[in-house]
Amino acid sequence: MLGNLPTPKRRTRLVSTGVVYILVIVAVGLAAAGRPNNLLVWVFSFLLAALLISGIVSGWMMMPVRAMRIEPRRGRVGEPLLVRYEIVNTSRFIPAYDIRVEERLLGPRTRAFRRANAPKPLPLEAAGSAWVMHVGPRERLHGEAVFRPTRRGPVRLNEFEVSTTFPFGLMRKVLRFTQSGEVLIHPEIRVLRADLLAKVASGGYGGHRLSSDAGGFDDFFGVREYRPGDSVRSIAWKRLAGTGTLATIERSRSVPPRMRVLIDLRTPTAQLRTADGEDARALEERAIVLAASFLALSDRLGFEYALSIAGFDVPPVTLRKGHFHREKLMSALAAIDLDAERSRTNGLSASDERSTVIVVHPDRVDLGVAPADAWHFTSRQLESLVDAHVAPSAAENARA
Amino acid sequence: MNLLRHYRFASFMIVLIAIAAFAVAELDFTTLFVGVVVAMLSWYVTEGPRGRTLPNWASNLLVLALVSYSGFSFVTDGEIGGAMAALGQFLLWLLVIKLYARRTANEDRQRFTLATMLILVGCLESVQFVFGIMVFAYAAAAVWTAMLWRISLGAEGARADRAKQGGFAPPIELAYGRRATPQFRGIATASVLSIFAASVLVFFLFPRFSEVRLGDTGGGSGAVTGFSDQIDLRGGDRIVESRRELFTLQCVDMSGAAFRSPRPLLLRGAVLDTYDAEAQRWTARRSVSGARTLRTPTDGRLTDLARGNASDVRTRFLAKIQMRAMASDVIFSIYAPVAIATSESRTIAIEPSTLLLRDVSVDRIGRSWSYDLLVQPQPNAETLEDLAGGPRGFGDNAREAARSAARTRFPVEAVRPIAERIFADVARSSNIPPEPAADADQSARWLRNREVARGIASWMKANFTYTTDLSAFGRIPGEDPIVSFLERYRSGHCEYFASGLCAVLRSLGIESRIVTGFMAMEYDEQSESYVVREANAHAWVEVRTSELGWTAVDPTPEESLFEIQERNRSFADRFRWIYGNLEFLWNSSVVTYDASAQATIADRLQTGWRATISERIESVLARMRALATSLSLGSAGGAWFAAIGIGVSTAGLAALIIVVRRRQLRRTLHLEHVPAREQHRLQREAAFYVEALRALESAGARKPAHLSPRAFAEALSARNGEVGAAFAAIADDFYRVRYGGISPSRDEARSHVSRVLALRALLRHNSASIRVD
Repeated sequence: MLGNLPTPKRRTRLVSTGVVYILVIVAVGLAAAGRPNNLLVWVFSFLLAALLISGIVSGWMMMPVRAMRIEPRRGRVGEPLLVRYEIVNTSRFIPAYDIRVEERLLGPRTRAFRRANAPKPLPLEAAGSAWVMHVGPRERLHGEAVFRPTRRGPVRLNEFEVSTTFPFGLMRKVLRFTQSGEVLIHPEIRVLRADLLAKVASGGYGGHRLSSDAGGFDDFFGVREYRPGDSVRSIAWKRLAGTGTLATIERSRSVPPRMRVLIDLRTPTAQLRTADGEDARALEERAIVLAASFLALSDRLGFEYALSIAGFDVPPVTLRKGHFHREKLMSALAAIDLDAERSRTNGLSASDERSTVIVVHPDRVDLGVAPADAWHFTSRQLESLVDAHVAPSAAENARA
Repeated sequence: MNLLRHYRFASFMIVLIAIAAFAVAELDFTTLFVGVVVAMLSWYVTEGPRGRTLPNWASNLLVLALVSYSGFSFVTDGEIGGAMAALGQFLLWLLVIKLYARRTANEDRQRFTLATMLILVGCLESVQFVFGIMVFAYAAAAVWTAMLWRISLGAEGARADRAKQGGFAPPIELAYGRRATPQFRGIATASVLSIFAASVLVFFLFPRFSEVRLGDTGGGSGAVTGFSDQIDLRGGDRIVESRRELFTLQCVDMSGAAFRSPRPLLLRGAVLDTYDAEAQRWTARRSVSGARTLRTPTDGRLTDLARGNASDVRTRFLAKIQMRAMASDVIFSIYAPVAIATSESRTIAIEPSTLLLRDVSVDRIGRSWSYDLLVQPQPNAETLEDLAGGPRGFGDNAREAARSAARTRFPVEAVRPIAERIFADVARSSNIPPEPAADADQSARWLRNREVARGIASWMKANFTYTTDLSAFGRIPGEDPIVSFLERYRSGHCEYFASGLCAVLRSLGIESRIVTGFMAMEYDEQSESYVVREANAHAWVEVRTSELGWTAVDPTPEESLFEIQERNRSFADRFRWIYGNLEFLWNSSVVTYDASAQATIADRLQTGWRATISERIESVLARMRALATSLSLGSAGGAWFAAIGIGVSTAGLAALIIVVRRRQLRRTLHLEHVPAREQHRLQREAAFYVEALRALESAGARKPAHLSPRAFAEALSARNGEVGAAFAAIADDFYRVRYGGISPSRDEARSHVSRVLALRALLRHNSASIRVD
């Protein structure tokens, strides 16, 4: 069993309670040495023995403990990222209590940071460590830690610590496990005004329409001969009465509006036009957030949607809807490396996919990047597009 | 979660123990009663149906009031010596206030700290047995509570971490495995025992003072056994009449018959011959240089204390003393001891001038012991010379002469006119011999001195009142308490009577001294021995009646002592000796454990363990040989014993295996919560299933704990259909027996067995296909 689990490095750290405790021991020891009071000597002995046994108990308890991280594949900025840890107690007899698991939120030491002797912090904030009250002998339990992602992009988790201050809280026994794992943090989604896309897509090129194919349940499409298996409810009774032949009414299928979001990242960060005090990279990130929010709104309204990224060689994505499609597009947004080289060529030309095109620009509108009937937004408009009436909790539900 | 619920009660209990322990250390029964009741009430108030707590402002206000009151009373009435007691009282009431406060992690921490401080203050105040036991109880409970506290704090911390996020993070769900509470009990008990064992080790190794005596160990009055080698007349106003049993004394005449003395027996412990008028205290002048030492044998034979062979054997008797609750190096003896025998080999020192005995053994490690004293109540001059180590003329030793002269003077001049008045009064009413002529023999003077002393003692008995409560008699500034006793109050306890008589005698130029010790007066007809209690501590006077001889004169009215004795007699006295024994062990093994005891243990560990082991082996072999002889086993005795030994060992081993296998069976069949009778049935009837699991385990397919039998059968089927099917049939049978409540018939039981055998046969050929590596 142990063979499959990572072997940790062990550490012992003195905590503040332990320091105070040692000072108390010293004080009692001095008092015991200063006067012939054997009861005081015994109290000193007891305090000393408790310190010793505390170290032994926590050491024995943590010796057979192993842990594995079960990280999710993706998270989202502004949403809790739940990371599970599987704690295994391989001991036959000794239970483990008060087990706390904390991720070391320090990235690999880059050369630049190594010089400064400070590892680069990960774009995650701890929002509640995993805590397991008890793991019995030969048991395995899961603990759940919560993180708050602060930045979009891939996050590489390297190390985590399993620790306990049991039995007396005088010292912390730490097991440091090295286990690499990557979580892709999706961009933040802001809840945009629901009427925004309705206005953009209503009656227009990408609005609701009927499909040219039969098979739906909405408007009349035509009449055909009855085929065995057709529903009784779809039989054209009037025709039967008039002609005496069985016929089936076919109805048309409603096609949802289509939306393509194009994010224009062709201009390198340094060449973006920014106002005084405005961070160009922040504008780009905000553009990504706006694009993600458009996609999320499209998904919520039941649109078919797709994403195009101008400036990077990203393969085209067809119009679809659904959870997996949404996650795929969000992952594409999350994976954008703004430090990579940009190209000016891959804009969006006119096509026959019959969709409304929304273009999101970081700094200013460039009409040339999309067909003429496209709608253009800049990242600076984000706050004005956000639905102010949505309560934060409702917004989070919407995101979920 | 049960475990976290236990914490609240445990934390309350340690506070309660701390409060009770401190009150016991202070011997303050008002505090004990009020403190414990108020503390217990807090449990009902805070944890009861309404669960109310003091608001923060009220709690702070009370704390402020307590600080002000304690500070003010310490500044106005407090003494430096009572600082610890005052601090303890302050901590105690602070703790009580905290018990009513809201229960937060911070409050818990404060309560725990305060309770521990209270115990530490108690340790500085007292070393008495009951307090020691309470400290042990507190320590054990504190370890247990600290462990629970740690878990509780972890849970609170984890919850608080999530709550801090303001709804961002979902609330934590406590994750814990099976049997968390019983396993906690196990680990907590093991920790408590280990800490106690380790603390005992550290206790024995901790560097010590060269000698620790009961009186040195702390301010607690509870440590004093009643006997003291000084008399402080500025002492307390009231004597605690403790019924604690210290030792028993049996008087045996030379024919071996126990007898009861017609008069109470005086057991001498210390001789006080110096009065410090300024300190108002009688003290002993210990002369170490003249003391002789001797080593008693281990076999309990009497060793002569006299240097020569005293021929005076009239009226001798044996005083057998069995210590029960007193760890002291003083050997209490009736005047005059001529030989001693001890229960174990000891080094005894005898001081020639006082004939006091002390245990000066270096290897004093404190244990219950007894000693026999051969006593000569009326020793002649030859015996006294032998005891003193040889003849000594009065006055031929300058130092002795100076001491003798000092014993005829009393430093408080105000006593002299009183003494003369008393003497005149006594001389009128009793037959005191006239003053011998200037050239008269010294023995005539001594004889007259004795008569004068007896006359004054009788006069005091008739005119003075005995009382143990002096609270009504105030101290007069500038007046010696002996003067107050003799002139003003004419009332007091034995120390005052002895001091008064000695002062009067010395003022009259009669050489006298005070002796402290015990008065044996409570005779137990059943055990034919005297029971000596703490309350029997006594002081009397000795008057010089020969060159080396002294005669005891007791001015205290015996009737008053008997009256108090009878008044205090109770049913509990019959059982008090049990407590006394424990207390003796405590005092002798813990309180007075010092460097010499430490050295003895180290020496024994270093050199004696081999000898001890071989001695033990020899003793066992000797007993076996004796048994073989008594049973007439002859030379085959060894073989018999070997056979019995092997049989017993095998039976023990078999019993152990059975117990272990039964426990495994119970765990495998999940019978932990099944009634005992049902457990036995299921263990018997479902044994086939356990056998099947064992067979699978030895074939390399161990059943994971999380899989049910049927799920395991399916998992096996995925690896090997035949084995899976065979086990599935066994699992079905098992379900019927274990959960269906069906007792299998004999045929069904046979078929269960045959299925297990079939599974084994299958496994023999298919183990490779089901093995899980």
